[in-house]
Amino acid sequence: MPEPEFQPERMLQVLEEHGVRFVLIGGFAAVIHGSPYVTTDIDLVPEGSLENLERLSAALRAMNARVWTASEPDGIPFDHDAASIADVRMWNLVTDLGRLDLAFEPDGTSGYEDLARSAVHLEISGTRVDVATLADIIRSKEAAARDKDRLVLPVLRRLLGALENEERQPSSEL
Amino acid sequence: MRGGQIVREARRRAGLTQRELAERAGTTQSAIARIERGATEPAYDRVRSLVAACGFELVPRIAPRDDSDWSVATANLRLSPDARVRQHQAAVRFARKGREALAGARA
Repeated sequence: MPEPEFQPERMLQVLEEHGVRFVLIGGFAAVIHGSPYVTTDIDLVPEGSLENLERLSAALRAMNARVWTASEPDGIPFDHDAASIADVRMWNLVTDLGRLDLAFEPDGTSGYEDLARSAVHLEISGTRVDVATLADIIRSKEAAARDKDRLVLPVLRRLLGALENEERQPSSEL
Repeated sequence: MRGGQIVREARRRAGLTQRELAERAGTTQSAIARIERGATEPAYDRVRSLVAACGFELVPRIAPRDDSDWSVATANLRLSPDARVRQHQAAVRFARKGREALAGARA
């Protein structure tokens, strides 16, 4: 089976249609803040109530989510509901709209509440999305400390500095 | 990068409030707040001691300066978030077509 085309706008739209509460984090959130690094998956942190996870389960069903593994890149079909989603703290999924990673407590954070209190509320291609701040994305990548994170951190830190300088001096050059 | 950004990152990574960090570091919550928002710029040793109070070690590193990715990032900053997503999607689609063309050429 060919890798499904990555359609992040549609994926976010499906989540919104199902009323799922989450914070977008990771490389795609960094792109929204200006990161130059291309990514082909969505990382999100769901709010952990059973009601929300029930809505998430329905959204995953609508996207035909399967469990991704290196040996089964097309994904392994799985049955799920709110309780079973809550039982696993990190999910690597492949859907008909591309790769989707769910983490209840991304590295360096304590989860949804920690990230949601400072998240920025944006409208992306007509869909309302809560996006983790760049400072929180950096915090998580620094804690994860994978090689791929270390490579992007210098530019993300410069971006954060530029954005904060811009906030303090709106007319300054970047 | 400002010292206050490092302190804020370490504090939040440790799950501490500003008041809790202040108690550990023998200072006041308002002093921590001033540092984090950039109202005062702490000396390097001060940043290092606050990071240590969060349970971490500040490890300085000198690396070659590389502005190639930064130039793209600064161009991105002039776009709206919506435009950044569209540009990213165009890059992903172009890369996919390139991979497909390469696979076709190899077949």
